[in-house]
Amino acid sequence: MTPAGAWTKAFAAFVAALVVVPVLATVPLAFSAQSFVRLPPQNWSLRWWGAFFADPSWLRALATSLEVATLSCLLSVMAGTSAALALPRLGPRVRALANGLFLGPLIAPVIVLAVGLYALARALGLVGSTIGLVLAHTMLALPYVVMNVGVSIATLDPRLALAASGLGAGPWRVFFTVVLPSILPGVIGGGVFAFVTSFDEVVLAIFLAGPSVKTLPVRIWEEIRVEYTPVVAVAATIMIVLAGFGLAIGRLTARRRA
Amino acid sequence: MSAVAFRGVTKRFDAFEALAPLDLDIASGEFVTLLGPSGSGKTTLLNICAGYLPPTSGSLLIGGRDVTALPARRRNIGMVFQNYALFPHLDVFENVAYGLRARKVAIAELRRRVQEALRTVRLDDFGARSVRSLSGGQQQRVALARAMVIEPDILLMDEPLGALDKQLRKDVQIEIRRMHVARPRTTLYVTHDQEEALVMSDRIAVMRQGRIVQLGTAQELYSRPADSFVARFLGESNLVRGRVAALEEGRASLAVDGFGAPIEGRPARGLKVSDEACALIRPEHVRPVAGGRQARVLERLFLGEIVALRLVSPGGVELWSRLFSADAPQDDVIEIGWEKERVSILPEAS
Repeated sequence: MTPAGAWTKAFAAFVAALVVVPVLATVPLAFSAQSFVRLPPQNWSLRWWGAFFADPSWLRALATSLEVATLSCLLSVMAGTSAALALPRLGPRVRALANGLFLGPLIAPVIVLAVGLYALARALGLVGSTIGLVLAHTMLALPYVVMNVGVSIATLDPRLALAASGLGAGPWRVFFTVVLPSILPGVIGGGVFAFVTSFDEVVLAIFLAGPSVKTLPVRIWEEIRVEYTPVVAVAATIMIVLAGFGLAIGRLTARRRA
Repeated sequence: MSAVAFRGVTKRFDAFEALAPLDLDIASGEFVTLLGPSGSGKTTLLNICAGYLPPTSGSLLIGGRDVTALPARRRNIGMVFQNYALFPHLDVFENVAYGLRARKVAIAELRRRVQEALRTVRLDDFGARSVRSLSGGQQQRVALARAMVIEPDILLMDEPLGALDKQLRKDVQIEIRRMHVARPRTTLYVTHDQEEALVMSDRIAVMRQGRIVQLGTAQELYSRPADSFVARFLGESNLVRGRVAALEEGRASLAVDGFGAPIEGRPARGLKVSDEACALIRPEHVRPVAGGRQARVLERLFLGEIVALRLVSPGGVELWSRLFSADAPQDDVIEIGWEKERVSILPEAS
């Protein structure tokens, strides 16, 4: 590859700025001393951080978000890994169909999913329950796990499992001692995606949330409708940091194992 | 009782008959090689033995016990794969220990047996090394140690030397043979390399189109091949086509157009008078003989201690002769002959 020219570099910087600036613009707002949202802030303070942590409803929303994201991450990793392991064993037609179905939640408009899930959740009495939201987010996160793990499985030598079973290992031992360690980067990567997907998901959460199950994005959205104070920016900043952490963990584990 | 017995084993993949009904007995401690071109069914047979592939019909007995329905993990087999299939996330010690851990062998005995296996393949101090840091030859030896350490009822090897370069392959062949002689283990070895088969095996099964064409020691296969396919597959050969002119107990003669007197030799089984057949005359048996058949030298290849001569008879039949360089005639037209006891008259493989 030839070294990038000045124009190429400038263009790359421009694109990067387009992506990053709106995200980072939130951060200075969280440290504003004013009681209204204005960029750039005139004075700096931590008062909105105090307000955030003093309000139980914000803390409860954060805890709910973490709980829902953790549960749907675990569920989608288990279900998605199993699915990704099963896919290569299907016949070509069934496999193509199953692949399409697993990618469905990525392609279908979220609002369509939300309407459908709302009707379903009502029928099952799951509206306003943690389990309902966890299941909905699990469905949304599943494609990321299936895809990530699928890539790892594609590079896995099938003879490793044959060798292990030939040496006397049963299916569970083969999975935990040979298959899982080999596909772990994909599993962790998929899990991080699943966690982040659930953590910042708002549409399904609004439809399915009740007074007791309110995630952080839902709480932010409600707050903005009532009054737009920088405490919203504090909540958003916390989300950015946590999501960034998750992605960093995924990257580091993937690199260490590669 | 044979250690391993295939009884009427067949395998079909849809319309393709990968194995015709096949019987094979391997004695305890015997090293048997399946030799054949790709697609001859040798790897299929190995996979059926390992339990990775169910036979379409027939049965497999190991130690007199019918194991046809048993999955691989209950068969006590040691398999060495072509590209080793070592576990990349485990070190050398843990790779070798894998089968013992699956068998829940106590830790002290496990350590002792892994060390012993590593010593056998001369990798004593490699236990803590990552398998990815090893050379191809070393990985191959780890795979061998991993398969041997569980004391398998049968050791299976699927072209294990295919990925090694030529010189290393020769060394490992001799190494495996030496290990086998020191401590005979029942072994089924798959290769398409005749030299590998000749160096290592007690007996060789030559396979073609899902059948065992011939089973015997290297010497038997070389000196008395069952047909022209086996003759061509093992060693250098002159195969002269003709028609069986006369046949009696242990003697046959083959009429060859443009070659003068019929070629006499020992007939293979199943020949009839006037069958199409061919005479196998190994190049090292074609020698200058005063008063023999006339031949012109078309080519001389100097191969060091050996000279290969391409000869042609006045009627256009070509023969190769391999002679010690010191014995090779310098003339362009020579008289040649051979001992007729060395010649085999073989059916033409279809």
